[in-house]
Amino acid sequence: MTAAKQRTLRAIDVGRGLKLHRFETTSGLPVTVAQRGRIPLVAVRLILSTGAAGDPPGKEGLADFTMRLLRRGTADRDAHALDEAIEFVGASLGLFAGEDQVAVALTTPAEHLPAMLRVLSELARVPSFPEQEVRTERERSLGQFANDVDDPSLLADRALIRTVWADHPYGHDVTGTRASVARFGREDPVAFHATHFGPRPAQLFVVGAVDPDVVGRQIEEAFAPWSGGPRGGVEIPPPRGIARGGTVVVVDRPEQTQSQVRLAGPAYRRGAPVQFAAQVVNVTLGAGFTSRLVREVRVKRGLSYGVASAFDTLRAGGLFSVSSFTKVETTGQLLSVMRKEVQRMRERGPTQAEVEKAQRYLAGLFPLRTETNESLAAVLADMALYGLGDDWLDRYQDRVRAVTRAEASEAAAKYCFPEAPLTIVVGPAERLRPQLEKLGPMEILSADDVL
Amino acid sequence: MSPRKKPELFPVQEARLPNGLRVRMVPDHDAPVVSLYTFFQVGSRNERPGITGISHLFEHMMFNGAAKYGPKEFDEVLESNGGRSNAYTTHDATVYYEDFAAEALDTVLDLESDRMRSLTIDDRSLKSEREVVKEERRLRVDNEPAGLMDEALHALVYEAHPYRWPVIGWMGDIEAIRREDCEAYFRTFYAPNNATLWVAGDFEPGPLLKRIRKAYGDIPKGPAVPGVINAEPPQRGERRAELRHPSRAPSLLVAYRGPQVTDPDTLTLDVLQFILSVGEGSRLQRSLVYDKRLAVNVGVDWSWRRDPGMFAFHLELQPGADVRAAEDALYAEVRRVAEQGVEAREVEKARNNLRAHLLREFTSNSGRAHALGTYELFLGSWEHGLTLPEAYGRIDAAKVQAAARRWLDPTQRSVVTLVPEDARS
Repeated sequence: MTAAKQRTLRAIDVGRGLKLHRFETTSGLPVTVAQRGRIPLVAVRLILSTGAAGDPPGKEGLADFTMRLLRRGTADRDAHALDEAIEFVGASLGLFAGEDQVAVALTTPAEHLPAMLRVLSELARVPSFPEQEVRTERERSLGQFANDVDDPSLLADRALIRTVWADHPYGHDVTGTRASVARFGREDPVAFHATHFGPRPAQLFVVGAVDPDVVGRQIEEAFAPWSGGPRGGVEIPPPRGIARGGTVVVVDRPEQTQSQVRLAGPAYRRGAPVQFAAQVVNVTLGAGFTSRLVREVRVKRGLSYGVASAFDTLRAGGLFSVSSFTKVETTGQLLSVMRKEVQRMRERGPTQAEVEKAQRYLAGLFPLRTETNESLAAVLADMALYGLGDDWLDRYQDRVRAVTRAEASEAAAKYCFPEAPLTIVVGPAERLRPQLEKLGPMEILSADDVL
Repeated sequence: MSPRKKPELFPVQEARLPNGLRVRMVPDHDAPVVSLYTFFQVGSRNERPGITGISHLFEHMMFNGAAKYGPKEFDEVLESNGGRSNAYTTHDATVYYEDFAAEALDTVLDLESDRMRSLTIDDRSLKSEREVVKEERRLRVDNEPAGLMDEALHALVYEAHPYRWPVIGWMGDIEAIRREDCEAYFRTFYAPNNATLWVAGDFEPGPLLKRIRKAYGDIPKGPAVPGVINAEPPQRGERRAELRHPSRAPSLLVAYRGPQVTDPDTLTLDVLQFILSVGEGSRLQRSLVYDKRLAVNVGVDWSWRRDPGMFAFHLELQPGADVRAAEDALYAEVRRVAEQGVEAREVEKARNNLRAHLLREFTSNSGRAHALGTYELFLGSWEHGLTLPEAYGRIDAAKVQAAARRWLDPTQRSVVTLVPEDARS
């Protein structure tokens, strides 16, 4: 392969003084390079359109397990040699699995970029999944589940995901379950890699004080031998609403003096046009330190240290949720305040003054989202993965400012639990029962049920 | 590029107001945003039994209104202007920060100087904030074994020094702190002569300094801040504590007495921390997680402290792991450093990572203001922070071994173990 065959570099002005340089390697890997900044640290992000939603039934957690093992050995180097290659020069490499994507995030001193691109290519192309490393990783993952029992907030999040999405591909934690992970053998990550990896479903992003032409040649050289992979990502059916709305699911932790609580209902898929109006609603209801929820829960009543609402959106669907925690004795009170505030937002929407305040908040802080090279690389990857458009960065603030009160109210009516939400509580079930049973049918799980 | 160039990349301009307020400005015009940090040289080390946790509770009270901006208006005004704020308290410092759109700079200076000048402390907001802090304590300590272990460790390591109590305070003290305690605390520790402003981002330093003088210039200087007495007696042998909790897996926390931040060995221990625990290829990761498979996670906490700190190892173990075997494996690694030393290549690797770490801190306005402000707070000057890569460059394998011998002494060790216990028994 020669650089001459590589598809021509195209420069796209995406506004805010940022130019994206795009090309495809001869092997078919789409690449985006953004030249910026002065600090000699370069961020690299490789994403593939697969993820936990592509975990085969009974193999929940496989995408995540595969990613963790990528750096534990390749055809050319063992785990120790890989760690040395990456860590000796002061680079750092993170491996992630989400529902819709897997990603390798690398930050490296600029002078070591060519060598790190070769390591990255090696991890993506020829991981060897040594038998011993698979065993160690399996044991470590299982050990992590045992340690996770002590984290009530994490238990609440896990209980929420498995309950709310039921048997949809989003319905398991990306780390899987103790039962599924315990069954993993070497053949599982090997098969996952063979099925999902290759330049076709992948995209590479480089951000930093780099010359796009020079980096282009380095990428071509490093990734020329990579080939194959499925066309398009994993197909994920849109979820049919949420499961067990109206139910109160309690994860029983008898020793706790504080309950973790979650409320959740269905929302929209990532990138849906309603997102800007929905964000205005979210900021007003439960983001930052001056939201309605913070005022009612923390400031007026001292019920909790923190309360927040959030839209968690993915390729095929999304969730709207409200999270908080309080001492066991005030759990029922906290839930009733949370529900009341969500209901008030659903019925009346935000005021005009609240809409304007949320717009200033979102627009003013927007530049911070892409301040570092790593964060810009992650945003560029999301823009590509979720089809947000090349004008995403340039137009975000205008789009937020264009939201009308009517649009925000409509979004509130649609997503602020028009149907009864699922309620999750992690705490001592028997002590909580008198406070919770009036809220809906109760279902009690143990920590083991959600791990 | 040599890290020496950083002052040119991000030139720092400094000034001191007649009332003692130190001002540091780091202009950068890449994006229309600014970060403002206010460092107060006060933390839980300035407390006494009976009012433990007041530094942290006070941090909460700083958002409850002043003469010009009433209760909760601070965040209301800030967020309405495209900004966000937060704060944190440690053993040694209390730090407030805001990130915001550049056009809100005047408003933010007005908000920050208002609360330094004229904070209102009333019983009603104290009552409400006390409940919020109790929930924070339940979250971070009472329902979180790692928090319980850390609390037990400090009480074990320190017999007399204020590092003995947790930053968030004992529950009974949080309950008992009075309005008058807060008022005295504010007068003493929140005066301009005990504070440093760091501003980084999109502004012109000359005009900004004028605006800062206008906003803060009339705040009177406070009294001299009382010193902290370190009456810690020598440790005469290993100390142990056991914590029973309905966990599934045991944990281990082992601390050795360390020096204060200004001790030359501090930087050597930074290097040792990286060699032992930073990265998948670090010694403890390889040995305890991958080779012996005793631990799920392992880390070293070597936090700089104004008074003698601790070099602490924390290990999340495999369920059913033999805690004694894990301890022995850890001590064997510690002994290996003290007796056989480390390789030159490991030192070089640690230096490369420390340099990358320093660079990483400089990649945002907030990071620059925070890093430089922290260096100034601990090292006495921010310039010192910028020369850290050179200082790390002077540390060699022999120094690392000598520091390990000096500080990782088994008689100066404190050990906390988390023993799983059935909740229902």
